[in-house]
Amino acid sequence: MVYVIEVSNVWKRYGDKEALKGVSIRVGEGEVVSLLGPNGAGKTTLISIIVGILKPTKGIVKVGGMDPKDPNARSIIGFCPQESALNGDLTGRENMLFYARLHGLDGVRAKRRINELLEKVGLLGDADRLVRRYSGGMKRRLSLAIALIHDPKILVLDEPTLGMDPGMRRRVWDIVKEARDKGKSVLLATHYMEEADELSDRVYIVHEGRVLIEGNPQQLKEEYGPPSVIEIELYKSPSELGENIRKVVGSNVMIDECLLRVHSKSPDEDVPKIISQIYNLGGDVKSLRVTKPTLEDVFLRLTGRRLRE
Amino acid sequence: MKWVRIKAFIVAYIKALFRDKASVFWIIVWPLLILLMTAYIFIPPSFGNPVTLNLGVVNNDVESMSPFNGTSFVVMLKEFEYNGTKLFEVKLYGNESMLINELRRGKLDAGIVIPEGFGEEVILGQAYLKVYISGESVYDFQVNKAMLGEFMRQLSVHIALEKLRMTMKYVMKWVPENVTIRTSHGVMSLRELIWRYMLGMVLPINASVKEVAPKAVVDRPYLLGWFSLGAIGMMLLYSGFSIGATTIVEEKEEGRLYRILSTPVTEIEMLIGKTIGGLVVLAISSLIIVVAAIMLLHAKVEWNPLRLVDWLVPLHLLLISIMTISIGLMISLIAKTTKGASNLATVLGLVLAFITGIWFPREWMPKSLRILADIFPITWSVDVMRDIMVKRAMLHEVMIPTVKCVFITIGIFTIGIMLYRKMIRKYVEM
Repeated sequence: MVYVIEVSNVWKRYGDKEALKGVSIRVGEGEVVSLLGPNGAGKTTLISIIVGILKPTKGIVKVGGMDPKDPNARSIIGFCPQESALNGDLTGRENMLFYARLHGLDGVRAKRRINELLEKVGLLGDADRLVRRYSGGMKRRLSLAIALIHDPKILVLDEPTLGMDPGMRRRVWDIVKEARDKGKSVLLATHYMEEADELSDRVYIVHEGRVLIEGNPQQLKEEYGPPSVIEIELYKSPSELGENIRKVVGSNVMIDECLLRVHSKSPDEDVPKIISQIYNLGGDVKSLRVTKPTLEDVFLRLTGRRLRE
Repeated sequence: MKWVRIKAFIVAYIKALFRDKASVFWIIVWPLLILLMTAYIFIPPSFGNPVTLNLGVVNNDVESMSPFNGTSFVVMLKEFEYNGTKLFEVKLYGNESMLINELRRGKLDAGIVIPEGFGEEVILGQAYLKVYISGESVYDFQVNKAMLGEFMRQLSVHIALEKLRMTMKYVMKWVPENVTIRTSHGVMSLRELIWRYMLGMVLPINASVKEVAPKAVVDRPYLLGWFSLGAIGMMLLYSGFSIGATTIVEEKEEGRLYRILSTPVTEIEMLIGKTIGGLVVLAISSLIIVVAAIMLLHAKVEWNPLRLVDWLVPLHLLLISIMTISIGLMISLIAKTTKGASNLATVLGLVLAFITGIWFPREWMPKSLRILADIFPITWSVDVMRDIMVKRAMLHEVMIPTVKCVFITIGIFTIGIMLYRKMIRKYVEM
């Protein structure tokens, strides 16, 4: 496979703090690769090095075989940063035209491309409104459209669906899938495991400046995830429930308000124990199911921490 | 370097700036406002017309038989005119304390007390007058004192000449008509010699005083023209500072810098684009100010495209803008936020406009501040524009300051670019 992004043993130090500790990743042509990790894992630092904004303290980075500082390397990347980074005093269309011109695109060609992309992200009707009047989700969509303005070979998306509702998130996913179908390479930094699961050909799980594991989502779940996950929906969640269940089943437990997820090797044995603990602590079960593990479960198993902590 | 990338910054900059109400206020509304205030408060439409003084008079010489008594003096005061305007609005008072009381209350500009026997003293010896001048403000005091002093001087000369004529009328009867005397001026009759000698005693020097001041100083339209260019200078000063100071800070603060620099654009393309954008904005607002000053205030500002020297005006506008934007880039090193940078730039610009002879004429400032005006290159440029557009200076008169300004602008701009690159590298690892 031809790799369009190659990062080898990259270190990045800010004063005393090591943000990246020997990270190596590769993104192949026509491949969607995700960097999955919690906030502060080093994803944005790595992306900033790849798009040429930061220099690594140590290590080698190549984009399309070139140094990321090379303007030719920058012209093949479409970057959507975590902050929308838009000019609020310009309209959506004007913001797009600004970035189109920075990529050397102007006139009728630019206008046609802008309309096409605005329609794709569902902003054509709001294109001539000032961006300062846009909602957070609209800004994210515009930001994504800007990343696509020059039809780049590589898309680098840093948390592109942050703050979007599920409907809009799915629309963005469709855009990423369409880009892959057209043979573009996508590097996606996210802390949404569903996003990484749904879109990625390969996932790098990043934690505290290091790549923990790398592979196909399915393969990662099979290799590193628990055999099963017991998912219980509660009417109310008693205090200290997680601690008590952990003692009983001896594995990872996650509680998200009234949703309880327990990693289990033998659900048949664990379910009765968990139910009796819930009722003993004064809780009440609404529904119960045994499911397959997700990438979140993989991360929990590897780090003992959750992605969104 | 690609023009389309530079164009991106120019267009975006101009559009965003004119949509920001605070920016529009500072670059257009405020200079016009201060110009209007100056035009109607400090240089009102009556500017240049003679002032009429409210004069209180206590006349204690009503019954004198002299042809030039207190009553005739009051009539003379009432009828005294300069350029068709009566100089004194006379009001009579019964006694001196009433007059002083009115002066203290600010109802009068000056007061005169004519003593008893004034008329006799004028004819027979030296008359005495008591004059009070209101000291409500230093400026008014000086004007009132000068006006009354000049009136009294002219009156004294007039009376002295009348007295001399009357005296000589009697003296000449005793001087033989055909006696001549040889003098250094040639042969002269004795009568003429006596007349000339006596006239010299009364009025030893007859000075002819005429005001010859540049139109730009005495005519309201020219003065307004002078201040219009000052308003432009002031606006260029703080706006240019502000444009330079916020160039990078704003992009950084709003997170746009990273995204912009992840595209193929170079830092120099960004600087050129933003500087040209700033120059266009400053040129548009300068044009609006000068057109408004001509149309609304009838300010006299001349610019003739067929006159070569007049083309130095746009050059100086450009030089001032580049200098101020470059100084603004230096300010951005200190400022941490857009708001901080903008406030610092505006305050610094306004203060400098007031103390470097850009807004107030140098002559109004203390000597220590005049030094600042003399060494401040932006003041040189504004002065050249005033010399050309208001005083219609010739090319050779403005050539040296122009050359100096060009070299200083190049120097300041070079330092500005160096600091700008340093700023970019502070935020982005280029």
